[in-house]
Amino acid sequence: MAAGLDERPDTRPAPPAAPARRRDLGRDVRESGAALAFLLPALAGLGIFVVFPLFQAVYLATRGSDILGNPTRSVGLANFAALLTPEFGRIVAQTAGFTAMVVLGGLVVPLALAVPLAQRLPGMKTIRTLFSLPFAYSASGASVVWLIMVDPSMSPVNWALGLVGIGSPDWTTGSGWPLVVVAWITMWMVSGFNLLVLAAGLAAVDEDVIEAARIDGATGWRMFRSIVLPMISPSVFFVVVTTTLTALQALGQIQVTTDGGPNGSTETLVFSIYHQAFENGSSNYGLASAQGLVLLAVGVVIAAIQFGVVERRVHY
Amino acid sequence: MATATGPSRPTTVATYVWLAVAAVVLLFPVLLTVVGGFTQASALVHRPPGVFSGRYTVESYVHAWQQEVVPLLPAFVNSLFVGLVIMAAQVLTSLLAAYALVFVRTPLRGPAFGLVLATIMVPYEAIVVPNALFVRSAGLGDSRWSLVLPFLATGFGIFLVRQGMRQVPVELHQAAQLDGCGHLRFLISIVVPAVRPTLTALAVYSFLQGWNMYFWPLIVSSTNNSLNTLQTAVFALQSNEGTQPGLLLAGITITLVPTALLVVLGQRWLVRGFTAGAVK
Amino acid sequence: MAAVALGTAMALAACSSAASPTPSTTTATAPGADALNGQPEVDITFWHAMTGANGDALTKLVDEFNQQHAGKIKATLAFKNTYDDTVSAYKTALKGGQLPDLVQVYDIGTRFMIDSGSVLPVQAFVDKDGYATSDIQPNIAGYYTVDKKLYSMPFNTSMPLMYINADAFRKAGLDPARPPTTLDEIRADAVKIKATSGETVQFGFGASLYGWFLEQFTANSAATLCDADNGRTGRASTVNLATDANTKLLSWWQGMVRDGLALKLDSDTKNGDNAFTSGTVAMTLESTGSLGGFVKAAGGRFGIATGAYPKISTGDAGGPIIGGASLWIVGQGKDAAHERASWELTTFLAAKQQQVSWHTATGYFPISKGALTDPSDQQWVAQRPQFATAITQLQNTPSNTATQGCSVGVMPQVRKDVEGAMQAAVLQGQDPKAALTAAQTKANGEIAAYNQALGG
Repeated sequence: MAAGLDERPDTRPAPPAAPARRRDLGRDVRESGAALAFLLPALAGLGIFVVFPLFQAVYLATRGSDILGNPTRSVGLANFAALLTPEFGRIVAQTAGFTAMVVLGGLVVPLALAVPLAQRLPGMKTIRTLFSLPFAYSASGASVVWLIMVDPSMSPVNWALGLVGIGSPDWTTGSGWPLVVVAWITMWMVSGFNLLVLAAGLAAVDEDVIEAARIDGATGWRMFRSIVLPMISPSVFFVVVTTTLTALQALGQIQVTTDGGPNGSTETLVFSIYHQAFENGSSNYGLASAQGLVLLAVGVVIAAIQFGVVERRVHY
Repeated sequence: MATATGPSRPTTVATYVWLAVAAVVLLFPVLLTVVGGFTQASALVHRPPGVFSGRYTVESYVHAWQQEVVPLLPAFVNSLFVGLVIMAAQVLTSLLAAYALVFVRTPLRGPAFGLVLATIMVPYEAIVVPNALFVRSAGLGDSRWSLVLPFLATGFGIFLVRQGMRQVPVELHQAAQLDGCGHLRFLISIVVPAVRPTLTALAVYSFLQGWNMYFWPLIVSSTNNSLNTLQTAVFALQSNEGTQPGLLLAGITITLVPTALLVVLGQRWLVRGFTAGAVK
Repeated sequence: MAAVALGTAMALAACSSAASPTPSTTTATAPGADALNGQPEVDITFWHAMTGANGDALTKLVDEFNQQHAGKIKATLAFKNTYDDTVSAYKTALKGGQLPDLVQVYDIGTRFMIDSGSVLPVQAFVDKDGYATSDIQPNIAGYYTVDKKLYSMPFNTSMPLMYINADAFRKAGLDPARPPTTLDEIRADAVKIKATSGETVQFGFGASLYGWFLEQFTANSAATLCDADNGRTGRASTVNLATDANTKLLSWWQGMVRDGLALKLDSDTKNGDNAFTSGTVAMTLESTGSLGGFVKAAGGRFGIATGAYPKISTGDAGGPIIGGASLWIVGQGKDAAHERASWELTTFLAAKQQQVSWHTATGYFPISKGALTDPSDQQWVAQRPQFATAITQLQNTPSNTATQGCSVGVMPQVRKDVEGAMQAAVLQGQDPKAALTAAQTKANGEIAAYNQALGG
């Protein structure tokens, strides 16, 4: 059917210019109607649950609240002013550190698996499937399992480290480590999906190019860096974008593992929103909404950087 | 980068050693999840790790499924509802919207696509507070639909399907139009088959996202336990039985069954769809 | 169409802002027993946060109630994870959602529950029925009596205790029957346990950095946590955290961790419980309500002894806070039949016989005076001397504003701030005084904001 259609346009004479114009106007209206009909379900959904709430968040961010969290009198920009504290600065810094760790680990670890897995060796497909399993975990499930992994009274990790004579750090209670642990859990969860995407990218690499490079004497790291990496850059870009989004939105991991502690050192922007608005009987919706708008700004800036700067360097 | 000649012997050995080390680190938690649920409670709190103790029992699985404080069966049904409804709705709304953005010639196209791109950049958590207030004030707070309402349309899905549709030659469309083929017929008979890999990938992806969703169900179900999904149920189980790791692990394994199956069996579709659409 | 929906939402949002809590229900009179006459079976929902063994015991009691009231009342339990989550969920439901009929709220939620104006004071039913409150332990009833009204029915009353791994104590040449009573004694015992050769217990001491414990240390040193006599003679506006006693406590804890005598734990009490029942630590602090679960989890691997909650310094003359949780009857949006049915369940749970089985299954102190004189309860306690500690401790605790604990509407957030300070000092090694001062500043800001929001 498709083939038959392909041939037809050429056999028809082009319509005269003037009537076409008039018909175009009518068609434009008709087509716009059709477009609206097709777009309506999606635009209604996005409009009601994404765009409208954004405006409402702006409204809420300028309000105080009663003891139940209902918006009351206007407080102007007080909720935004309340963000200009070292404490909130620390939350932003922690979000940045957490996201950087997740994105870096979520790219490097799956890549370090995908490259050897791309070789023609027996069992590679099965192994790849096994390594993709963490993708099946939800945030709360993965966190509970990893909490047991590092629990001081039954940690298999500590036991294994002890075997080789390494003392185990205080994973969830020390300084520095807790943020690494929640980042690790998040990285672990995304590594399964990222592996699949990168493996697909590697599978599509043209073997002739590799062979030509090999004849030119390229091997190992240089081959990977200057030949393979540019060729899979679309996959890498995709992984970086989706992982950044996942990291920025992480909540369950933090809530289950550390609940933001110790002393707020694993609080990220999203956790802080949850904490202000919903946790411990708190219902500070004004401040939470203000933080939500900061999160929005961060998201837009990162998206702009990724699409604007990075994409230009991606080789298609 | 499969090499036609095959790797040399030392490279092969190094490959397997490296993969084995990585497996110990990355896959031990998976083993712990499944086997830990079968391990006797007293053996789990033990060094060396009790999963190798050989003292196995199905007690934890039976108890996890039968305990009534955090019933898992209704939560399972809710999760299935959430996953399936979000999957069906997102595929449908994305398909229709993407079609309009690619094949319908209208001045609305530019602004509409701009709006879609903008919504991708809005982290859901940024607007969760107003949405929670909205769903409550609309009187839907205790309905199962409140679990899925905000997720029926997705900018990411529209973007993905649009990328896939752009691979369909535009001449096809012109030809169909001249042939008197309406939008709906063209969509169903030509476009859908052409973007099927992308749609399948979106379906798998959105089901997994819906099934594993956490923040929103946590807020919605806080006032009504019958809206628990498996994810919030696991959190409740952790609160209730935090001192019984075996029971927790059994509960998590139960929640993992559908997603693990989907990841294992559906990964081909997932990868093909994403490589056809967003990656290329 | 979308625009209409949006407009409606805006209007509704605006409506809800006008509907500030009205205390109308708190002055309403309680329905009598006749409210249930001629009704089909009344379904009531009961929110609670009882975990593990305690949750099982509660389920058993409610099942018993349902059997006795078959065809008339059916109570359904809904588990709300934690006390904190229960209050959060209740707050959310107040803004439009299904409120429970009966809700278990922790001691520090008392002020908020009254301020919410959504409850029917238990006093109204007491007056209506001529219910005899003389069987309730007076110092327990005192906690929930505000403005001479008993607002909620105490249910699970607990105090913190010192828990001891008796086997580890004996191995170290210590007597489990003579537990340490002060910080210095804990340290001395922990040093001995650490020095014991062949000891499998890794740390002498390890307790969760739960804010409740610090509140208890404060009360035990006869100090009040907040002004206006702990908010009992007026509305409290400040907390007093950066005291010398609290600084001493956190410095001591910091040193215990630094010297390897105490396990580093976060604020999640489940982790502290696991550390104790797995035999990782020899001494811990927990609620009396954990005794049943501890005995079950230890499963005979080691013996458990209990001691009175330790004091910061010898000679501290206070006592722990008589806390725990109580049952609140919801009035907002409920008809007479549901209110009455909730009251029936409340009196059932508070009655002597049920309190005996509650006490012996969980370790929570019975609120009924009669329960302690019941032969089966006495026999049970005699066989398990660990349970006697709680009774002695309660009887030795003077009833005053210090042991009633701080009553402010944002106490849950204040507790979180306290935990921040504990974590900063003990886990991150920050200066205890500075950490406590920071928490105090933060908490005072939250109290001020709450009091202001209450004023309109």
